[in-house]
Amino acid sequence: MTAPVIVRMRATMFRRSLRDPGPAVAGLAGLLAAGWLIVYAVRPSAQPGTLSILTGSWVLGWIVLPLLLGGVRGRVRPGHLRLEPIPVVRAAYGLLLASALGIGPAVSLIALAALPAHAARDGIAAAVVAAVGALLLWLLGLAGSAVALEAVGRSGGPVGAALTGVLTGTVMGVLGSVWAVAPWASLLLVAGPPAGVLTVLRWTPGFWPLDGSPVLLLPLALLVGAGVLAYASLVRHVLTGSARPRSGRATTASGRFARGPVDGVIGRERHTWLRHPLRLQYLAFSIVYGVLLAGLPLLAEVRLLTPWAGVLIVLWAASMAASLVGLDGTALWLPLTAPGGERAEVLGRALAWLLLVAPAGAVFTVAGILVAPSADPVAALAVLPAVLGAGAAVPVWVAVLRVRPVDDPRRPTAADNPTDIVSVLLVLVALVVTAAPAFSLVVWGPSWSRWPALAVGVLCGLAAWLGATWAATERLTRRGTEVLAAAGRTTATPTTRIPLTWDAEWVRTHRVTVWALALLTIGWIPVVPQGLMVLVFDIEGGWIVASHFAGPARTAAALSMVALGGLLLLTGLLLWDRREPATAELEPRDA
Amino acid sequence: MEIRGLVKAFGDFRAVDGLDLTVRGGTCHGVVGPNGAGKSTTLGMAVGLITPDAGTIRLLGHDIRRARALIGVLPDGLDLPERLTGAELLRYTAGLRGLDPATARTRSAELIDVLGLAKGAGTPLADCSTGTRKKIGLAQALVHAPRLLVLDEPFEAVDPVSALAIRRVLQRFVAGGGTTVLSTHSMLLVEQMCDDVTVVNRGRVVAAGPVAEVAAGGTLEDRFVELVGADVAGEGSLDWLTRR
Repeated sequence: MTAPVIVRMRATMFRRSLRDPGPAVAGLAGLLAAGWLIVYAVRPSAQPGTLSILTGSWVLGWIVLPLLLGGVRGRVRPGHLRLEPIPVVRAAYGLLLASALGIGPAVSLIALAALPAHAARDGIAAAVVAAVGALLLWLLGLAGSAVALEAVGRSGGPVGAALTGVLTGTVMGVLGSVWAVAPWASLLLVAGPPAGVLTVLRWTPGFWPLDGSPVLLLPLALLVGAGVLAYASLVRHVLTGSARPRSGRATTASGRFARGPVDGVIGRERHTWLRHPLRLQYLAFSIVYGVLLAGLPLLAEVRLLTPWAGVLIVLWAASMAASLVGLDGTALWLPLTAPGGERAEVLGRALAWLLLVAPAGAVFTVAGILVAPSADPVAALAVLPAVLGAGAAVPVWVAVLRVRPVDDPRRPTAADNPTDIVSVLLVLVALVVTAAPAFSLVVWGPSWSRWPALAVGVLCGLAAWLGATWAATERLTRRGTEVLAAAGRTTATPTTRIPLTWDAEWVRTHRVTVWALALLTIGWIPVVPQGLMVLVFDIEGGWIVASHFAGPARTAAALSMVALGGLLLLTGLLLWDRREPATAELEPRDA
Repeated sequence: MEIRGLVKAFGDFRAVDGLDLTVRGGTCHGVVGPNGAGKSTTLGMAVGLITPDAGTIRLLGHDIRRARALIGVLPDGLDLPERLTGAELLRYTAGLRGLDPATARTRSAELIDVLGLAKGAGTPLADCSTGTRKKIGLAQALVHAPRLLVLDEPFEAVDPVSALAIRRVLQRFVAGGGTTVLSTHSMLLVEQMCDDVTVVNRGRVVAAGPVAEVAAGGTLEDRFVELVGADVAGEGSLDWLTRR
């Protein structure tokens, strides 16, 4: 009886998750990719080695990507059954069965149908072996994904978290540099992998279903068994509460006492960054992703990006820090009850991030310059201080502006990943806008302005730091209780209803909201078509202001438009922060 | 603490409905009430963690923001910085409260000793039991030597020995001129510790004053049941519970 109940729980949660467009979009993209894989598999030119790489990568992506992107909120987890008297084996079986219900498993099953479809050319027996192998691969993905999601933050510990970051960073880095590896990919699709690679491939599970020998299905089945056993062990760990408290860490006698409120918050953040599994994962991911994005193009003999390794690391580290306040649960009450606690909280968070990320940014920038001395490093050097200044402070602002709560702040797993695409985009846009003046001076400015652009980068970084720390402090000071309530809310957030038709009464009573919405809508026009599209793609048009100028004046006009749009958006965000209150407050457990 | 006309609604539910509360300086004041009566919401508003819909709050003659330096808070059910150990939490809060490192070191060591936290202080908070978390929470509320302590369910899940230690600390605090406001479900504890008590039900004060006066000659528990109304037993006999 246990398994059907868990499956029904999952079905309900899954149905609710479909209210959000995200899963549907991801499902459509997955279906297109799966369709392409099947079409490739039945082509006469399809190579079994290549197909095994593609299907193996698919299963690996299925295991890894949810760790990075979150998106598994509707999953039934062992923790949900902690208080139920359910035997471990039945609980693990039910949870695995329930996890098969979802877009990822369904799309993966379709994609793996490429294996029997390809093997059918060698007869029915080969197709049957490939079909059974595909099913086993699917089960391996299912168990692997369940293990990965539950292991990070539990038995995996800091090493597991860092490894997950390395793995996700590698996958994203390779995908992001696909243009650089495209020649190799094209060769792979047409001619298949080289003989040496093929020899290695024969030892990987992705190849076994295509080998035609039923004997190779046995190790695949053993791997599935190992995955299921690993998952059952994790479930037992959760259900029996056998997690042993880690004691023996610093007591009062050892360690350093803080010198003032900001120092106190820096100390807290330093410990948290180095101990929190998801924060460690974010750090490792940022470094690996940044290094690969800058370094992989060297495969295509493109050195342009190499000095940008440090800047890219800073960009990803900042964007991954955009939801950290929610990750800490309701611990924000401590600074909210201390004198001047809001300012200390904001500055402490920003400085701790800077102390952690700035050395990595600087080291990898220098390393990139040394690896590719022929690449011009001035733009990267000018942009680095700008993104560091903005990267430290803007995520703190965004994190208190858009709080994404987690289910269990005490024992987070990858399933608690609160990374939110809108918050990430906000941070990335802010960093790009902050870096734009220094970058523009180096790339489009007169030759004498190349080195002064470094000072511009520093100034822009400083301005972004001051602006964002001020805005975040303001937000906490004015609406700290609202932020705290949002951090503690694990049920649906009540939101201000915005009428879809004209409602004069609503407009009259929500003037600030109306102005904020208007500015947040029209602000994009000067930024994107009037500014960035002109600077990046050199577009023309009667309504494009910069089109009426030439040379440096044209660049200046486009930059002014970006600045104007940025100002409008910033004002819109500040007004949104001051919009008419919704009834969104934390209701204590025992009112 | 002076609270007048406090109101807080969550949607259609009025958790606190025109509540008045006066706490005399230098006393221990208990706030009692059934589950959902509005105790935690009231204390949350009193320390600035929840914004009231209406009403005024004065702490030690100041508004909440100005009084922050003078108050120590132990909320119920909120998270702590879970990756820190208890000792590290004390360092962090001492820093947040602007204590110099030497004073913070001495006070932290004393609090850990008095509250019996020698072992718990080295364990990450995420791995601590509820009782240990309460004791560490109390230590962080005391480390800056506040004049007013606001404690929400400070004795919940605390073992009897630890409870005794906490009571002694709070009694010393009040004897030294400090003021304590605590919410609890234990009437016995209120009778043993508190000078005054306020009984809250459905967001309103139904009785307030010195404990003996509110108890009106009987036990506080009997008076409490009388004031808030005991749940009347239903029709079901629950015979099935006794079948073998």
